[in-house]
Amino acid sequence: MEVWIGTSTSWLAAAGEHGGKEHHGPGFWGLVFYIGLVLAILFGLMSFAKTGLKSRVFTKPTLFGLPVLGAFEQIYLFIEQLCVGTIGAHGRKYVVMIMVFWMLVFFSNLVALFFPTAPTADLSFNLGLALVSIGYVQWEGIKANGLFGHFRHFAGPKLGGMLILISLIIFVIEIISELMKNVSLSLRLYGNIDGGHRAADAMNELGKNIIPLGGDTGLSIPIGAFLMPIKLLTCVVQAMIFCLLTCVYLSLVTHHEDEHHEEGHGQPVPAGAH
Amino acid sequence: MPIGVALIVGAALMFAGMYVSTAKLIDLSALAEQGIPLDLGKTIATVGVLLILFPVIKFFFVAPLMEAIQTRNTELEKTFSEAEELRTEMASMKSDYERRLADTEAKAREQIQAQIREAQELRKSLMAEATSRADEMVKRAQDEIEAERQKALGGIRLQVANLSLMAAEKILKESVDTERNRKIVEEFIDTVEVPAS
Repeated sequence: MEVWIGTSTSWLAAAGEHGGKEHHGPGFWGLVFYIGLVLAILFGLMSFAKTGLKSRVFTKPTLFGLPVLGAFEQIYLFIEQLCVGTIGAHGRKYVVMIMVFWMLVFFSNLVALFFPTAPTADLSFNLGLALVSIGYVQWEGIKANGLFGHFRHFAGPKLGGMLILISLIIFVIEIISELMKNVSLSLRLYGNIDGGHRAADAMNELGKNIIPLGGDTGLSIPIGAFLMPIKLLTCVVQAMIFCLLTCVYLSLVTHHEDEHHEEGHGQPVPAGAH
Repeated sequence: MPIGVALIVGAALMFAGMYVSTAKLIDLSALAEQGIPLDLGKTIATVGVLLILFPVIKFFFVAPLMEAIQTRNTELEKTFSEAEELRTEMASMKSDYERRLADTEAKAREQIQAQIREAQELRKSLMAEATSRADEMVKRAQDEIEAERQKALGGIRLQVANLSLMAAEKILKESVDTERNRKIVEEFIDTVEVPAS
């Protein structure tokens, strides 16, 4: 675990451009390594889980007594509920994308628990995630409302006369708001994961200064380990927040689909779609 | 976006990002000094990785998982549907059997009642026949008794007449005309009341 390894001495941290106490995430090849690590874990688990797909009840295969495929099924059902509850009935078609987001973010966050850094502890990686997320939202918005209709949304309600200037201002603000969603998504994730590292580092330094065990060897009591439970909670919560916000953004640009659906079939629009 | 396009664009973005990052084409060190360590090369490469990952993970795992869940749900729905059909069928059969059982019981009860009625009628007719035969036998017996009685009475009368003649002969010690005497005796006997036995 990174709290035991100590970031300043680890070869893993050395892969980062700003390895050591600066701790500004991995460099390019460090990011490649960590993304590869996350994908290796993810694909390893998925390959392992796929062996049980033929069974009727997903109780096998197990890893440390836990049903891996059952866990993936629960993630899928959770994401499905999240999409349908937030976006509406048509949200089911986004389940695949949201699930991939969830798994990438969650397993990246988990890597952050056991290694000096992680993909999600890198703002650049998170910005890439956010760009894909928001880009997909815009793409779906354009598909749902048409190019003109989608951008007309940014101008707010239809105003006439000189009030069109207000529409223009609203348009500019909304465009900035859309761009800031990228910053919001990426900074939040980066702040939480990287912040967890820094807090653990700070507490480890504290342990090193209070009770030095090994003198020059750098061994110390890993007080930062006490942050593990809350960091684990952060892993889950941040993955969920990223996916939930993507769902909310999707619902904002595609909720007309449900209105058309309601007009056509008399079905109520799910509350989460508004 | 078609998967082929996504893979090509993703790969291109990965290499572009690698080039931008390693060659340091975009210098954002000012941001890094302010605590915002941003490397747009890594961001571009990440976008490329994600463009490749989405279809790959979808086809490698998520789609088969969804299909397996869907198949299982369909099987479960089918099983529940079949169970519901069987339950309905069983309920229908149960009511049918109950109805048939009630019908059978009613028929059996009716047959028993008919048998009882038939037996009662048979008993009545047998009783009547037995009674008539008994009456007939009694009547015949009475007739026979009456005939025997009359026969016995005739015999007794003859014996009495003979005895009376013999007694009269002994008393009179004289011979009289037998035919004439007999007639007298019989007339006498006829006048005498014979007590009923």
